Amino acid sequence: MTPSLNVPLPHNDAGLVLSAAGALTEAAPSIEIAGLQLAYAGRPVLQGLDWRLQPGQVVGLLGRNGAGKTTLLEALLGLRDAQAGSVRLFGQPATRLDDAARSRIGYVPQASDLFPELRADELLAYFRSFYPRWNTAKVEGLLARWAVPRDIEIGRMSGGQQQRLSIIRALAHEPDLLVLDEPVASLDPLARRDFLRELVGQVLERSTTVVFSTHILSDLERVAFNVAFLKAGRIALQAPLDELLEGTRLVGGPRSQTDAQTDAQTDAQIDAVPGLQVLGRQGGRSLVRIQDRGVAEAGLPAHLMAQRASLEDLFEVLT
Amino acid sequence: MDTPIQFQINTGSAEPIYRQLMDQLRRRVAAGQWLAGQELPSVRELALLLAVNPMTVSKAYGLLELEGLLERRRGLPMVIAAGHAAPARARDRIGQLEPTLQRAAAEAQELGIPKHQALALFERLLNAPAPAPAPGAPR
Repeated sequence: MTPSLNVPLPHNDAGLVLSAAGALTEAAPSIEIAGLQLAYAGRPVLQGLDWRLQPGQVVGLLGRNGAGKTTLLEALLGLRDAQAGSVRLFGQPATRLDDAARSRIGYVPQASDLFPELRADELLAYFRSFYPRWNTAKVEGLLARWAVPRDIEIGRMSGGQQQRLSIIRALAHEPDLLVLDEPVASLDPLARRDFLRELVGQVLERSTTVVFSTHILSDLERVAFNVAFLKAGRIALQAPLDELLEGTRLVGGPRSQTDAQTDAQTDAQIDAVPGLQVLGRQGGRSLVRIQDRGVAEAGLPAHLMAQRASLEDLFEVLT
Repeated sequence: MDTPIQFQINTGSAEPIYRQLMDQLRRRVAAGQWLAGQELPSVRELALLLAVNPMTVSKAYGLLELEGLLERRRGLPMVIAAGHAAPARARDRIGQLEPTLQRAAAEAQELGIPKHQALALFERLLNAPAPAPAPGAPR
């Protein structure tokens, strides 16, 4: 973290930035990734990934264990060097952000990166000195509400207490971009709900852009208006969750009827139905986007059924 | 006395949250429980209470306004629109229940549940006290 006294330019809810000259200009995307390639020891993790987030978007990032979610989040924050491609935050290269851009970012890493020998008060006083904006009232309120002890060393706190402190640190300077990597894994359901409320408040007050990676789908469903699926090193799909829940169907046959045929045969039958676009497949079931409902219903073979999908279904098929 | 306006949501279903909010309001208004002039919580209040994205709440409110169920007043909370002062006709209310029961009937048939058992289950559910979890309570 770099010290900074630069005050970020004010911006409004529409994502417009008031430039120094006073003219309204279209804001740069909060995050703009193009062709990102990153490998560990020759094993490719991100393979030509493109991703773009507009100011004020709240996006849930979904992917299986080992899909590279943490790598992606670290790379987008400029914490990892990529072999190819570019990452820009607020229009600047992520690895060479100026102090003003840096101070607009809040990050809750998956693994605690807090200094274990400090106490909460000492840690927060330390970070406070780096940021032009620091909401003391919010910090005090959250420390009390979330019962974070101030007077013991961070290394002696429970996992849940450390996670709460990490969240408080990330929210304290009222960031415009919040990157959350499994931020609630150690929190109980009530603490999680309280955290979600805080997040909603942040979105209401500042139109914060949020990237939220978690395996707790119910949390994601509440706060993420958009969902992005990371698969095979790319963002396979990003769309508003409502649109996916309403505009897609899972198509497949009951096992008793499809036993006689292979999954490949079932897939081919689904491919032949007009008015459908196949988004993903898993074991003889296809997730399809309905392009023309009447045509699709008329063309669906009788032994295949179309069902509405839940977020869990989407996760299963698209990651 | 007016029935207080409270929403609850289920996560994990194929029904988007904004639809759940819309359906609850439609049913309560059809039943005459939420009446013309009653004030809705603001987008901000409801989003914080349910811990959901504010855009989800404003989407539901906006669509309900288009349907004529809600009225926007400048600088004031939204209200249930005028004209919804009494329960809808029984025929209309039954009509709203029909899609849900159609789904239940189809599932009962798929599961091979005999008619009398399905009806007995529905009767038992109707007789059970209405669930009243706190709004936004974890489920």
